[in-house]
Parts: sequence; C-alpha cells; structure tokens
Amino acid sequence: MSDFTRAPLSQPGWQHWPGCLFALAIVLLTVSGAGALFWQAPALDIGDLWTSRYLRSVVLFTLWQAFLSVSISVLLALPIARALDRHRKFVGRALLLRLMELSLVIPTIVAVSGLVSMYGRQGWLTVAIQEWLPSLSWNLYGLNGIVLAHVFFNAPLAARILLQALESAPSTQRRIASQLGLGSLWLWRSLEWPSIRPVLPGIVALVFTLCFTSFAIVMTLGGGPATSTIEVAIYQALRFEFDAGRAALLALIQLLICGTLWWLVLRKGLNTALIPDRQLVISHARPDAKGVRKLLDSGLLAAFGLFLTLPLLAVLARGLPGLADALMPSGFADQGLQLLKATALSLGIALPAGVVSVATSLLILGAKPGNTNTPISRLLETSAYLPLIIPPLVLATGLFLLLRPKLGIASEGLALVALINAMMALPFVMQLLRGPLRNLDPASIRLADQLGIRGWYRWRWLHWPRLRRPLALGLAYGTGLSLGDFGVIALFGSPGNPTLPVLLYQQLGSYQINAAAGTGLWLMMVLLALFGLFNLVGRPPTKSQGLQAPMPNQLETSDA
Amino acid sequence: MHLPTARLLLALLLPLSATAQAASELTVYTYPSFASDWGPGPAVKTAFEQQCSCQVNFVVLESSGDILQRLRLEGDSSEADVVLGLDTGTMETARQTGLLAAHKIDTSSLNLPIDWADDLFVPFDWGYFAFVYDTEQLPNPPASLEELIAAPDDLKIIIQDPRTSTPGLGLLLWLRHVYGDQAPEKWTQLKDKILTTTKSWSDGYFSLFMNGEAPMILSYSTSPAYHMAIDKTDRYQAANFAEGHYLQVEVAALVDSSNQKELGREFLQFMLTDGFQLHIPLKNVMYPAINLGPELPDVFDKLITPSEARYFEPAEVAKNRRAWLDEWLNAMTR
Repeated sequence: MSDFTRAPLSQPGWQHWPGCLFALAIVLLTVSGAGALFWQAPALDIGDLWTSRYLRSVVLFTLWQAFLSVSISVLLALPIARALDRHRKFVGRALLLRLMELSLVIPTIVAVSGLVSMYGRQGWLTVAIQEWLPSLSWNLYGLNGIVLAHVFFNAPLAARILLQALESAPSTQRRIASQLGLGSLWLWRSLEWPSIRPVLPGIVALVFTLCFTSFAIVMTLGGGPATSTIEVAIYQALRFEFDAGRAALLALIQLLICGTLWWLVLRKGLNTALIPDRQLVISHARPDAKGVRKLLDSGLLAAFGLFLTLPLLAVLARGLPGLADALMPSGFADQGLQLLKATALSLGIALPAGVVSVATSLLILGAKPGNTNTPISRLLETSAYLPLIIPPLVLATGLFLLLRPKLGIASEGLALVALINAMMALPFVMQLLRGPLRNLDPASIRLADQLGIRGWYRWRWLHWPRLRRPLALGLAYGTGLSLGDFGVIALFGSPGNPTLPVLLYQQLGSYQINAAAGTGLWLMMVLLALFGLFNLVGRPPTKSQGLQAPMPNQLETSDA
Repeated sequence: MHLPTARLLLALLLPLSATAQAASELTVYTYPSFASDWGPGPAVKTAFEQQCSCQVNFVVLESSGDILQRLRLEGDSSEADVVLGLDTGTMETARQTGLLAAHKIDTSSLNLPIDWADDLFVPFDWGYFAFVYDTEQLPNPPASLEELIAAPDDLKIIIQDPRTSTPGLGLLLWLRHVYGDQAPEKWTQLKDKILTTTKSWSDGYFSLFMNGEAPMILSYSTSPAYHMAIDKTDRYQAANFAEGHYLQVEVAALVDSSNQKELGREFLQFMLTDGFQLHIPLKNVMYPAINLGPELPDVFDKLITPSEARYFEPAEVAKNRRAWLDEWLNAMTR
C-alpha cells in the first residue's frame, strides 16, 4: 500500500513519538525544577536528620498519620463499595457516585471550613454528642482532624475505584451466583476478592501518597510543629526561611519513601483502571441484597452520604449570605464584579490545564504498548507518577529560579501555572483514561484491522465512542484540580488579578469574613457546574450511528 | 534542552498578550490584604497616580514573608521598584540581601512609639501584637502573659506559626523579650493551651476564631477597631497584658535594581502624607505612621494602651531568629 492511501496519522511514529517526547519533557521539567533547588542549596546536611528532634518527629509523624489515614479510608471504602455493588437501583445512587468523584477536587480550605462547622469545638455534631456523652472529649485539632479530613477526602475515592473493580467481575459468574442463590461469604471469596485484589495495592499506594504529601489539611487542622508533615516542613523551610538546603533534604526523603512505594507496586504489575470509567453495567440482582443485609447496607450508605454531604451543606449555609451580598445589584459593582473577574481568570487557567492534561495523558498512554518492560515504557510510567510525589512548591520554586530572568510578562507566569497544574492532574487523568483506551475487545480490534481502520479514523470510530465519557470526566478532574490550586498560583500569580482561591485568601486577610465564605461557596458551585457540564458533554448521543464496532458489553447485557 | 521545551510550551499555551508599557510605571510588591479591594491599596494607588502622572502596579504576593522570599529569588533582576509590607521582624534579613537602596527621604513626620532612624526602611504603619478574645465566650480574659501561661488547659488559644507568619514570629519575640532564656520553658507550659497553630493569621481568624472554635487568638491590639467601626460590635476585644505588648512596625523600601528610583522615592515620601495614611486605620487596621490628629477614627480611642512597648532591634532578631525558632520547635515537639 502506498503512502497515498494511508489514513491520516496512521504512521506508527505518530502514535509513539509525541507521547515519548511529552513524557521526557515531564521528567526533565521535574528533574530540572528539583535540580535547580538542589543546586541552590549550599550543602545537604544529612546529619540534621539525626540531630534535630523536630526533623525526626516530622518524618515519623508523616508516616504514622499516612498509615492511619490509609487504613481507615480503605477499611471504610470496602463495605461501602460492596454495598453500592449490591444495590444498584436506589434513589440518590447516581448523586452519591457523583459526589464521590468530586471529593478529589474540592478545595481543601473550603472543605476544612465545612469539617470545622461539623466536628470542631463548636461544631454542632460535637456539641450534640457531648450532650449525650459528656465524658467523651473530642478534639479536632491534631492527629484526629488530620485523619478525619484525609478519610473525608480519600475514602470516597477508594470506594469509587473499588466499586469499579467489583463491577468488572465477569457477568457470567454473577449469573451463576444469582441462579444458585449463593450467600455473601461465597460471593466474597469467589467473585469480590478476586476482582478487587489486583487494584488494592494501587489504591493503597495512591491514598498513602495523597496523605503522605498532604499539606493544606495538616496546616489548618494540624495543631502545631508536633503534627507536621514533610510537605509542610518543606513549605516552611522554603517560604519564610529560604532554607533551600533543608527543603531539598526533606524533598529527597519524600521522593525516596513514596518512590519506593510506587516502585514496589508497579513492579508487581499494577491493575490498569485505578479511577473508574463510568460504565453502566446492568447486571443481575445479587442474591445477598435482601433482608437484614439490606437494612444494614441502607444504614451504612445513608451514614456515608451524610458524612460527605453535611460538611458541604455547612459551607452552603455559611456562604449563602456572603454570596447573596456579592450578587445583589447593590454589591455587584465591586464585590460581584470582582468575583466574576476571578472566576473568568480561574477558568482561563483551569480549562487549558484540563485540556493539556487530557491531551498529554492520551499521547503518553497511546505511546505505551502493553506492559513491556523497556526503558521507554518505564520512562512513560515514571512520568505518570512523578507529579504525584514531587512537592509542587519545590517544582514551582525550582522552575522559578530557572526561568526567572526570562519570565517577563504576567501571562507567561499564568501559562506556567496552567502547565504545572496540568502536570499535577496527570496521574489522575491518566488512570481514568488508561482502562478504556486499553481494554478494547480483541474482536473489535480484529474487525478494525480487517477494514483498514487506522490512524485518525480508528480514533474517530473505535476509540472516541468509548472514550468520550472518561475523557469528559478527565477534563473535569484536570480542570477541577487546577481551579482549586493555591500554591503554584501564589508564586507565579499575576499582579492584583486574583484567581478564585487567591481572592478567597485576600478576603480572609482583610476581615471580609462573609465575603470569603461566599467566595468559598461560589468556588464549590463552579466546580459542581463544571462536573455537571462535562458530564453532559460526555454523554453519548442517543443510539446508533454509522460505523460502530459491535460492543460486547451491549450484546451481553441486552438479554438481561 | 528542557528549557527550550518549557519555553516552547509556554509560547504555545498563551499567544501574545503583552501589554503596552506606559511612560512611567511603579511596581510595588505587597501582600494580599493591602492590595485587595477592601484594603488601602486601591485608594492609595488613585491618590498617588493623581500627583505623579504615573501608573502604580501592585504585585500581590501570598504574605509579607513571601515579599522577602520573592525578592531573594529574583535577585537583581527583580521587577519591583518598591517592596511594601516587610516588618521589624524580617527587615534585617532583607537588609542583608543587599538588594535594597537608601531611601534618602525626610522622615521627620514619623510618629511611632520608638525612635526611628534607618537609611533603608520607611515605616508606613504600626501596631501591637495582642490576644483578641470573644467577650461572650470569655468574660474574664487573663490579664497578663503569666496568667495566660498559668491558666487551666481548658482555656484554648489559636496562634500562628512563627516560621510563616509575622504575628507568629511576633509572639515568639514577645515571650523571648519578657522571659529571656526561660522562654522555652514557658512555651512548654503554654503548649497544651494551644488549640492549633495556623499557617497564617487569616486561616486562624476566619475559619476558627470567628467560628467560635477558641475564645482567644493571637492578633493585633487594633483588630477590635475593625469590628467596632465596620461590624458595629464590641464583642471582640484585645486583652491588655501587664507585661506590655510586642511592637510591630511595617515598613517599605526601595529596590536597588529599580530604574525608577526617583519615582520610588516620591512614593515613599507620599507614604508619609495624609493621602496615604488616612486609609491605614480602618483599611489596614493598624496605627498610622504619622499623627493624623482628629482624622484618626474614634474607635481607636477605645483600644488598649500597653504599659510597655516590647521591642528587639532588628539586628538582634536577625542574629537569633534561627536559634530561637529551633528552641520553639523543640519545645513544641517535646
């Protein structure tokens, strides 16, 4: 076949090279960012680790709280995922799932203020419980608060991934189980455990890393130096003391610990879909979804739903007056306008960040052929996890040092913010797209090969119909994470032109307490709107269109 | 290789949006609450622009600590002409960077609790650190640091981290000034009364103190002025401590690499006039650096008057800061 008749972009190199280049760029960007800091550091004083009580306590506490957070999150997520798998049709299920997806991108400062309204010393739950149990002395600040907030953020994420794994259990086995009326224990041993076992190490590593590198939560609910994490210590060394040496030392410890963990997990061959693609699996009723079990499950799910929604409702209650003021015609002139300007700027950074993270993920995933263990595939894999463990502040400061003399206009700074934000979202977006991109059934591939559907056409007709949902969700994640960013933007931010999180902090800093609560609520609403919008975009148009490969899933479920 | 890549990406991401440069622009690095719509920034900018026929650009950094940090990161390629928002706890470190230029302006109108003679830094406002308390939760606040330290552990306070916040550093210096070498011991006693240590003043004030989480927070003796004048409530007051209060003076300085030095000096001089200072009391919620006479809002008469202004010379702070911080860290992790 001559090149003339080739489909557009069907040259094998087109699939391979862009991804490799992007991965290389990410690794180089990270290495040069961190490298610039190391180069700036006078000399690494490793002896500090042994002599400073504070540094030792920081490392130990970071490990301890991450261990606790991960254990509780996963132990809570397991029964939740099972209950959600058992009951596929209850009112509010879709809403609960959407909420669980959102938990990753809710800005910490907003969520923490909601948690405080619930569990703080004056929180209504604390007050109510102390009425009943006066002897119980609960203090949110310190280890309690850190673990609670980590569970709030990570249990839904873990449960969502586990649910996805459960739903992927072969439906033939489910049918047999259903026909035989098998009990819960048998189901667990024959169906559930085998389907979640492969994803479990990945979940543990992901949640552990997220808690290990936690920053804003520890900063607000931590209580003091005795409960500092490494990321917080890096921040303090870098932001106020300009102690690049200590920051570099701590960053190195963090890289070492998290890097080892991921290396261990990846070496074992990680299951592909860490974050679910939303697939509606219509399946057989589970035999163990009746009676007492049903009652227990309902209770559990209701409690979990309240656990997630109540703090957000508190944010709503506190933010409404401020938001109403800002959007009233009387206050609109300055406050409301300021809010809209900040929203526009935030979206101007976040949307490109989302697009870049999704495009990069696709290219990197496309470049990696299966699970081969070549240096190239290792490079691609590394580039996906590196942004998860490198402290954003280290990266941003390093890049700042590198680009400083050339970083002239404010818009270049903003572009860099978008770029770093996109990179930070990469691990999540990639997990989201990996499964759907890879798990194309062999029959479809064969058919496409026979028909010569390659390059652009292959993408258009084979991948796009399956990928539009995960792509939309990926965009939502990428955009949402960037929308809540307050860290990178603080370093490269533009003169007097705040993004929403920056505006929030400005208002906090000038006694504008109501306005700040309103801005927090507004930020949440913009996030919800984005997720809703992308969800609409990702929904495939109703039924049949031209050349669509047969979908085994549909065939299987049509006889249900 | 990586640099061109990054630059290329940047170039792809944001097509040209460079703005035309006006004839003379003055770039001022400052902190968020100064430049925000509710701070003194906008009014000051308008007033100065009218007299200088130039344009003032505020570059808003995360906190006053960040101003110094940014200056050090940028070195002599900084685009700042003036930095505004350092304080007596950090100014010596800023001086040691060698990146600042002499102000050479007339500072005779200054009205501070201490004598001021400094060739680099010009004060623009000042205040005392103090514990602000909620009168509804705590009708009888401690009357001295000693009483606070000796109080039962169920009295909870919120403080800020001395490494990231200027009030936090202020408290560290306050205790040091009062107790000298015994300060670490006093910190150990105070430790159990600390509900939480926040990164910045605003984190603690907004989501915790105003929410009723603790009855007392480390803030400024001037904070109640805002509540009394704007919120129209006497509910939040500052506790007057018998040992006296630590003084904070906020300063601005000219950046040596600036090519707008004359304009910068004009701005520093303008800082000490009514056009600037009138906006300080209720918008930055601090005492003005010059005598405003009857223009000082009435609520300022209702604020506490410390028996003694506690104050370390900036050089003294710079010399000992690291050691005192480490003592604090060790006391708090014990």
